[in-house]
Amino acid sequence: MPKTVYIVNGPNLNLLGTREPEIYGASTLKEIEDRCRATGTRHGLNVVFFQSNHEGAIIDRLQEAIDTAQGIVINAAAYTHTSIAIHDALRAFKGFKIELHISNPHLREPFRHVSFISPVVDAVVAGLGIYGYELVLNVMAAELNNDESRRFA
Amino acid sequence: MTHKILILNGPGLADLGDDDDDNDRGLTLEKVRTECAGLCHSLGIELDFRQTDDQDEMVRWMTQDSEGYDGVIINPVGCSRAATVSLPAYRSAIGTAIRTIALLRKPVVEVHINNIFSRSAETTRPEHEPAGAMGLVCGLGVHGYLLGIRSIAHRFESDATH
Repeated sequence: MPKTVYIVNGPNLNLLGTREPEIYGASTLKEIEDRCRATGTRHGLNVVFFQSNHEGAIIDRLQEAIDTAQGIVINAAAYTHTSIAIHDALRAFKGFKIELHISNPHLREPFRHVSFISPVVDAVVAGLGIYGYELVLNVMAAELNNDESRRFA
Repeated sequence: MTHKILILNGPGLADLGDDDDDNDRGLTLEKVRTECAGLCHSLGIELDFRQTDDQDEMVRWMTQDSEGYDGVIINPVGCSRAATVSLPAYRSAIGTAIRTIALLRKPVVEVHINNIFSRSAETTRPEHEPAGAMGLVCGLGVHGYLLGIRSIAHRFESDATH
């Protein structure tokens, strides 16, 4: 039975490729999704890729993941710095959780320096560009497909 | 041309795996070195992997020695909540050193073995804001280093094609 990983993307990430490409790069979200699916297939992972501009819709998907997924990659975008509701939803998920950002929020405006998500995830990956998606999926695969000790082995 | 990566480990990391900290799960620095060396070898990258307990030496490696390398990965330790050293001066010096490397447009990734943000649910602000570092990876154990290497290698590739 393949393990399922939710890749959940927050507000404005649908504009990737057109919005401030000097920060976020020229790739579109569709291209990222295609690469994630290819990486998932390579590792035998079932990838559910989702984007929404709506906080409630993101929470609905995170709750769905509680029953159906073993891992979550969350790029909550600007909700990272505002959403206690997403913090709570993630806290309820017991699988492996990685917070992902394309840029490094700590290098940007002070209002991006606090993450409500970081304390309730296993790991944080930021500033590695869109390649970060593939990289964290590789780690997720190692985490989910092998035993627990693999991550630190 | 062979690319060269410098990996710098700060104070206390030689003792990794010595205590009963569950999060380290038996990981040793030698294991980190072996995994990093294996990946760099397979990617055709030259690796210089170092550790020091001397804060001044750490800063000196970052500001001076990094010049001869194409990418740098640092685990400064003292900048994290898991600090074995907590001198504000060290944190400030590390921040400045990271900025110095980043200004040279060299890829820099700051790696922490544990999630440095997880220690307190009440506050999420790290004591140290990783100013200047291109990338930040924490909580993935040895995989954090490997992600750092792969992301830097990826950057070498795109630099070569553009």
